[in-house]
Amino acid sequence: MRKAEIGATTALAVHSLCAAGLATGYWLSHSLYSSSLITDPAPTLRILTVCEAPVVILLFSWLRRDHDRCSFIKAVARGLIGLPIGALINAFGAIVLGAPVGLKFWPATIYWSMLLSLFTFVPAACVFGASKLDWQQILSYSKPSNIVDYMLSVPAHGAIIGAWLGAWPMPLDWERPWQEWPICVTYGAIAGHLIGMLFSPVLIFLHRRHIRTKTE
Amino acid sequence: MRMRMRLKAAAAAVLCLHCLGVYLFTRGFLLTRTELSAFSLPSDLLQAQASCCSELPSTTNQDQDLPGWTPPTVERVLILIVDALRFDFVAPSSLFQKKQKWMDRLPSLQHLASTHPSSSRIFKAIADPPTTSLQRLKALTTGGLPTFIDVGNSFAAPAIQEDNWIHQLVHTGRRVVMMGDDTWTQLFPHHFNHSYPYPSFNVKDLHTVDNGVAQHLVPWLHRQDWDVLIGHFLGVDHAGHIFGVDSQPMVQKLEQINAILQNVTDIMNSQKHLENTMLIVMGDHAQTLNGDHGGGTSEEVETCLFAWMPRSLPSSISSIFHPSTCGLGLNGKNICTSTMQQLDFAVSISALLGIPFPFGSIGRVNPELYALSPGSWDRQWLPASFYEDPSSDLKMWKNNYAHVLCINSWQVKRYIDSYSATSVMGFPSDDLHYITKLYNEAQSRWSDSKNRSCKPENGTIDEFSDFLLSFATLARSAWTEFDMKLMGVGLGIFIISIIFHLFVFERVQSLSNVYDNKTQKSSNHLQIYVAFLLVAVRAVSFLSNSYILAEGRVANFLLATTAIGSIRSSLVYGKIKKHDLVFLILIILIRFGIEKGMSKQAATNPFLNYDSGSDFDLKWLPSLFEGHDFVTLLPEISPMIILFLLSFLSCKYVTSTVHSRCIKWVVTVGTMLSYLFIATFWLSERSFAPKMVYVIGLSLFVLNFVLRYLGILEKGETVQRLRSLALVMVSAWSPTILILLGKQGPFVVLVCIIAGWSIISSKNKGLLDDCKMDPISVMQWSLLAICLFYQTGHWCTFDGLRYGAAFIGFDEFKVVRQAILLFVDTFGISHILPIFSLPFLVTIPNSSSSKGRDKTVIFLNLTQVYLLYGLITAITTTFTVLCVAIQRRHLMVWGLFAPKYVFDAISLLLTDVLICVSALYYC
Repeated sequence: MRKAEIGATTALAVHSLCAAGLATGYWLSHSLYSSSLITDPAPTLRILTVCEAPVVILLFSWLRRDHDRCSFIKAVARGLIGLPIGALINAFGAIVLGAPVGLKFWPATIYWSMLLSLFTFVPAACVFGASKLDWQQILSYSKPSNIVDYMLSVPAHGAIIGAWLGAWPMPLDWERPWQEWPICVTYGAIAGHLIGMLFSPVLIFLHRRHIRTKTE
Repeated sequence: MRMRMRLKAAAAAVLCLHCLGVYLFTRGFLLTRTELSAFSLPSDLLQAQASCCSELPSTTNQDQDLPGWTPPTVERVLILIVDALRFDFVAPSSLFQKKQKWMDRLPSLQHLASTHPSSSRIFKAIADPPTTSLQRLKALTTGGLPTFIDVGNSFAAPAIQEDNWIHQLVHTGRRVVMMGDDTWTQLFPHHFNHSYPYPSFNVKDLHTVDNGVAQHLVPWLHRQDWDVLIGHFLGVDHAGHIFGVDSQPMVQKLEQINAILQNVTDIMNSQKHLENTMLIVMGDHAQTLNGDHGGGTSEEVETCLFAWMPRSLPSSISSIFHPSTCGLGLNGKNICTSTMQQLDFAVSISALLGIPFPFGSIGRVNPELYALSPGSWDRQWLPASFYEDPSSDLKMWKNNYAHVLCINSWQVKRYIDSYSATSVMGFPSDDLHYITKLYNEAQSRWSDSKNRSCKPENGTIDEFSDFLLSFATLARSAWTEFDMKLMGVGLGIFIISIIFHLFVFERVQSLSNVYDNKTQKSSNHLQIYVAFLLVAVRAVSFLSNSYILAEGRVANFLLATTAIGSIRSSLVYGKIKKHDLVFLILIILIRFGIEKGMSKQAATNPFLNYDSGSDFDLKWLPSLFEGHDFVTLLPEISPMIILFLLSFLSCKYVTSTVHSRCIKWVVTVGTMLSYLFIATFWLSERSFAPKMVYVIGLSLFVLNFVLRYLGILEKGETVQRLRSLALVMVSAWSPTILILLGKQGPFVVLVCIIAGWSIISSKNKGLLDDCKMDPISVMQWSLLAICLFYQTGHWCTFDGLRYGAAFIGFDEFKVVRQAILLFVDTFGISHILPIFSLPFLVTIPNSSSSKGRDKTVIFLNLTQVYLLYGLITAITTTFTVLCVAIQRRHLMVWGLFAPKYVFDAISLLLTDVLICVSALYYC
């Protein structure tokens, strides 16, 4: 029932709350610990993750797909389990793509992959659980029937593509501190995620109008 | 049949276009400096004097038939060249941050420098790139700036055609004796009175040349019938190449050189006839800590020049020396060093010996080196009446030096004028104008002072120096004359060839769509766009020097991207297959290999800002297993185990795939024997084993073609036949490539096989027809090839060649043979194997739809695969060419962009040739 109620405005609200979580984290790290992503990436990423995690898990658990069979608590638990799994997948992907593996990078890599997991894996885990069909659908977006699909898939893809693009300045010889792993990749991921979050309500809006014109 | 002809014709046409494009662009880009064939003559002195001073040199022997331009200031010169002599070998270690093992190993020179500060000097000599021996010897003798293209001539040194001081010496009747590196006799075949050349190319041989020089040097020092003696030691260079600078053999080598030098200085001190002899100990170039050289980095160009005269000099000499860096020597005394340009060496030595300056020399007579000779303090030009104050040595010297500089400037100005007159593209007119202005100012000031009876003012020296230094700067910056027209035409031909390639590809594509189901068309198109997007990303990245340096990592990044993309699509269409995960893990392994190669490169290349300590520290990994025997044994045993596995695999696939019994037998026995020989070689280092491997590889390769044309391999189904052809071809090549790669070979080949298998089995997910060409797979194949190039420890500069591979199985050097081995090592794993194994992409074993497929369709697909592979290489190379053309004034153009262009051009032509061979063989 609630599914149908979700419109572009709800999506926008959810997304702006997520963005607010990120902003809070950034502000906290900046004012309380006076650490920025460039000077000490690992603690900042930790604060960002800690601030973003409850927002994402709670919001997307509220949006869970199978309202009848799955309670809110269960959805939250799914999200909590999904966090390390998603982090593992993201870290593996990053290492395949060339992230450094030295011991001194481990804390940053771990927190970075947690954050990316919050952008990509956790929302879907909260909403779908382990339903294989839904996962396939969201990956292929072959049937964009559902509005939540947009909310999950567009920002997640945005984050991944942003992180991918964010890796490109790393080999350049500008010798700026932000070229270190994982700083520019994090910036890229956050930027891509935010763009995706802006973009998904627009897509939802267009999608609904498309359906409306179809039915009319 | 028409189809088969099409690939051959298209491949041949593309090859021709590329050859033309590469030829034209190379002519425009890697242009040599125009060599002027004019020689300086002693009689030119009259012209020089017309502009310099009307007085004739008072002490010049006018009765001599061939006088020089300046009065000789030394009687003899003994030049001892220590190849690849680093500055820190000679300079006291107190000048450097930390005392290293190789420092202070030449105490005999330091002792002289500290005890005779007014008659000896240590110079930091800055060489100009390219820092290869041949170019440096050319520059040292001609005083010019040899250009990049000469690097190619380095293997067969041609005689020097330009004017040089050896020629001038011989022409003025001096006797020159040479001993050591045989490059000298190649450069100067008819110049030496006596020569004792020793072979220079056998890098493994540390002692032959040095012992030869040492043996002949001492007897010659006691003789009197020579004027210039050149001894060229090679051991330090070879020790660097083989063991690196931080090694015991290097220290021993330096100690040996020190003993020789000590002996030489003792003799010079004791022998009367050597009193007025200048000893010069110098390097032709320096070397990196790995022993590499060739580029323009400070480690490679900062060599050393030490000069000493047994005769003592006026003490006022120190005022001529520029402010210099000083440090404490071994004996606690202060040692000071100066800096000079190697470019100045030729003209300085000409001035010292009093011979005409080489016509094309653009250097300046170095004041400090010139001041070391006692003759330069004598009264030379001045009428005796003029100088009433004989005590003023310094004034006298300045006067002499100003005269020399005036003649020097006149000679350089003459060179500038004749160069501008004969060369099509001279120097930029603004700069030329500025230079001329500087010269005229200096000249007019000089004439002013001359009119006041030849008394030079203090400023003239500075003005002439200013002119000479400005011109040297101009020559350095502007000498690489790019012929923009030829470069443009070459680039245009590249673009035309790409358009032609695309056109042929599109035709074949539409033909195959006719045969195929129409519904798959869109899907295939999407993949083509993705593939071309990846090519475009890679190609555009060449615009930046950083991405050229990180090319291996970029290729790996893109390969990983395609692998992740293919995992995503297998998730969409069903389950993740195991080969997808295997591929990801392989990519991580390849990546570590690339990073290892990069850290090796970073040690030699300061452009590459690669912090190997932080990025690739797997040092914790071995420490986990510390104390176990197998850790030390592992690097020894694992290649053998993998080699065994490989031979088993190849045996299995050959027997199961190839149907013709006789071929099967021949190939299996051939490969087994090859692997056996490889194992023998690794265990016992016998040199016959690699030779046998090469022979077997070559005969199998030839046999393939013979059998192919006899029609013996024609049996069986098309797919089956194609697969067995490809397998036989790959088996023929792989042992040779494997042995050249060394101990990493089995591992790399195994990675190559597994990665190839993953790509083949992951291709075309969701598409029903397994055998349709998948552009993404072809792209992955090409990216994998690039990754393998970097993983095997190669990179796109000349010090990235693995010279050691050329000597596997051979000890002595023969140009053609060693070049072929080096070529196969460099391009074997990244070009030869991947291109010959491309048919596997269209012939998947055990696929249901491959059986009974139309022959035409298979060949269409094969044609598509080859065309696409060629197209990918062509597009990236065209972009390299474009980027090189855009960046032609970049700081690193010779260090980075030019080598990259050379490598890419060679690999493009090689790819085209291999595609032609494949078209002949497979179709």
